[in-house]
Amino acid sequence: MSEVAVKNVDNACETAEEFTRVFYKQVDNSRHLTSKLYLDTGLLVWNGNGINGNEKIQKFLMDLPASHHVLRTLDAQPISENLVSNKLTYLIQACGDVTYQNDDAKKPFQQTFLIVAVDGKWKIASDCFRLQVPYLTP
Amino acid sequence: MPKRGGGPRHRNWKGDNDHFDHDDRVQSNSTRRVSFKPTSKGKNKIRTWNDPKLLLDDDIDMGATSGQGQYRKSAFRGRGGRMNSPAPRAHHGVVKKKFIAGILPWYQIIIPYGAKHEKEVVLRSLLSFISPEIFIPHYYKTNGNAAVFYVDDVKIAERLYHADRKITMSDGFKLVVIVRNAVPNITIDADMKEKMKLTMAKRYNAATKALDLTKFHADPDLTDIFCALFRPMIMLAAIDIIAENIPDLEALNLNDNKLHGLEHLKILSSKFKNLKILYMGDNRIPFLGSLDPLKSLPLVELYLKGNPLVNRFHDHEIYISDVRKKFPKLMKLDGADLPPAIGFDVSEDLSLPPRQQSFLVDPAGQDLVREFLTQYFAIFDSESRQALLEAYHENASLSMASNYLSNDSRNSPNNRLTSYISNSRNIMRVTDREQRRRYLRTGRLQVVSFLSDLPKTTHDLMGFAVDLIVFTPAMIVLTMNGIYKETNTAGNPTRSFHRTFVIVPNTSGGFCVINDMLYVTNTTKEQEEKAFASGSVEPTPAAPAPGPAPGAVPGVAPGVAAGAAPDDAHKMQLLAMLSQQTGMNEHWSVNCLQETCWDLQRAVFIFNQLQSEGKIPPEAFVK
Repeated sequence: MSEVAVKNVDNACETAEEFTRVFYKQVDNSRHLTSKLYLDTGLLVWNGNGINGNEKIQKFLMDLPASHHVLRTLDAQPISENLVSNKLTYLIQACGDVTYQNDDAKKPFQQTFLIVAVDGKWKIASDCFRLQVPYLTP
Repeated sequence: MPKRGGGPRHRNWKGDNDHFDHDDRVQSNSTRRVSFKPTSKGKNKIRTWNDPKLLLDDDIDMGATSGQGQYRKSAFRGRGGRMNSPAPRAHHGVVKKKFIAGILPWYQIIIPYGAKHEKEVVLRSLLSFISPEIFIPHYYKTNGNAAVFYVDDVKIAERLYHADRKITMSDGFKLVVIVRNAVPNITIDADMKEKMKLTMAKRYNAATKALDLTKFHADPDLTDIFCALFRPMIMLAAIDIIAENIPDLEALNLNDNKLHGLEHLKILSSKFKNLKILYMGDNRIPFLGSLDPLKSLPLVELYLKGNPLVNRFHDHEIYISDVRKKFPKLMKLDGADLPPAIGFDVSEDLSLPPRQQSFLVDPAGQDLVREFLTQYFAIFDSESRQALLEAYHENASLSMASNYLSNDSRNSPNNRLTSYISNSRNIMRVTDREQRRRYLRTGRLQVVSFLSDLPKTTHDLMGFAVDLIVFTPAMIVLTMNGIYKETNTAGNPTRSFHRTFVIVPNTSGGFCVINDMLYVTNTTKEQEEKAFASGSVEPTPAAPAPGPAPGAVPGVAPGVAAGAAPDDAHKMQLLAMLSQQTGMNEHWSVNCLQETCWDLQRAVFIFNQLQSEGKIPPEAFVK
């Protein structure tokens, strides 16, 4: 790997740490501001329900019960820049436990983000959230 | 136990199965000690109120409660002449016998020489003495010389207490009566459970889904066993039986069961989602806070009359309001309709949106995704993963992170994730930059070499949740959630995974993975129950033959990096051989082979040379 590529790997990890810290804090404590973290055209896929665009994402998030996320596992990789019109893009996988207000049980979850640097801010292009449950629909 | 006021004599009384013997010597020993400690009674009592163990189990010994004083005294008289100490004599002669109620709702009545008489004779004598009161003797039996039975009424216990040595029997002796605050011992066995079940069936109303367990222990069908619901062990056994037979129970009547602590009833809310009506009147529930374990029940009707907690409120309005705080949906309390509460207009429905198995950002991608995954996992689940070389981009990267489920109490060897955790790139734990770089496998060979070392698997493809989140001509991103089982690991454990592929078109019209991110953890119990639940257990035909398998399905990976494939397969072999001969990890083996243009002999030669000069760092051997 070139030195630039190596630095990019380091940076992906450090950005992932910072990003998840900010993201889960917003979702758990200031959810009304969370959609700011998404691109205007961002995509949220929540347990298989797709929500397009920053405004709809905000509404969807507001309807979820209050939550508390505990992150336990984190991983990140840079995405090759020539795939994404030379924008710095990272792939982040975050796993942990979430508790919702309507049910005290801790649920394991896994979440994948594609984040992209736009005008000096990291924005979520895609966010895919899954609870660790059986998904086979009979 | 003997440390408390009672002294060693207790051993003779403990449990009604013990041999009962009139042991004068021991009695007189303890007599002297205990009779001078009137205060110990009070202390003992206060302590036991706060002792949760008391509510739990069988070996309950009340120390210096009333019955003992009584017995002690009869022992004195029996031994008459030898008791010269003036103090006890004065005590017993002057102070009138006083009955002190115990905290347990049951009393054991012991007639030390009761076995000399017929049961009917003993009972008739006692009944006529306490007339007009009547009592029901529970679990009457003889034990050595003694007759033992139980009553569940404190008033009767007191009357019987005062019957001591008042009744002259036909043999001229006076009947000695000892009253002790104690509950019958019981072990819950299959036979008892069956009896409880049959008794419940009789008390169940299927039309209203209501079960009436009022004064359960007094049910005529349960007279021969001590089935008191105030004992947590018995209550929990009862709850198990109900949950098994009436999971959709809506109303439960527990009136008049001497219930006191309710901590163990917490389990009700997880077992009975529909339980809306609960009657708990005429019990001994001491505080409103005792109801906290029931808070998560969606109760609309509750009955609490006849419990000490109700008397703690001087203002009925406050009582209603405080109960409502615990059960906000309550519409009826103690039989009276409650005025509608004024609430807040907040969303009542806090349930999560229903989950979907798949999301496709563009429906056009469906076939491609399906074919790609079918092919990919056909190879992944086969004997050799080498053919995956064609499925990865030349500069592909892969990382894997692994962690145990939190709160997982299962501790079988099957749950150990050692083979994953040792390679896990969880950057919350791997904080060193060098290590983070090393755990990121880069280049097709390293990636496939890494995958080849993972346990052999069979994936439950039909159970996959697949989300296609990017679908553009330049790039496809899809994530998967699902389970697989390890096929060559003892016990064939199942694992849960989450995985993301970034897929790009290759030059020959096919597709290949350029980023692969894998997370592996244990399966939850729920996942295990549904594992491989679709009819087709093997979702893909076994594809053991390594080689250009992906090319076989048109449209997906035809000629994925075509020309290079056999070459790469050969490189994989070289890599495996070098790694085996030198002990270097795949990263360093790849570097070494690349430096020598894939000449294995030269690579080994150079390795030996550098190694003898001590130029190969230890990290080259870290696997």
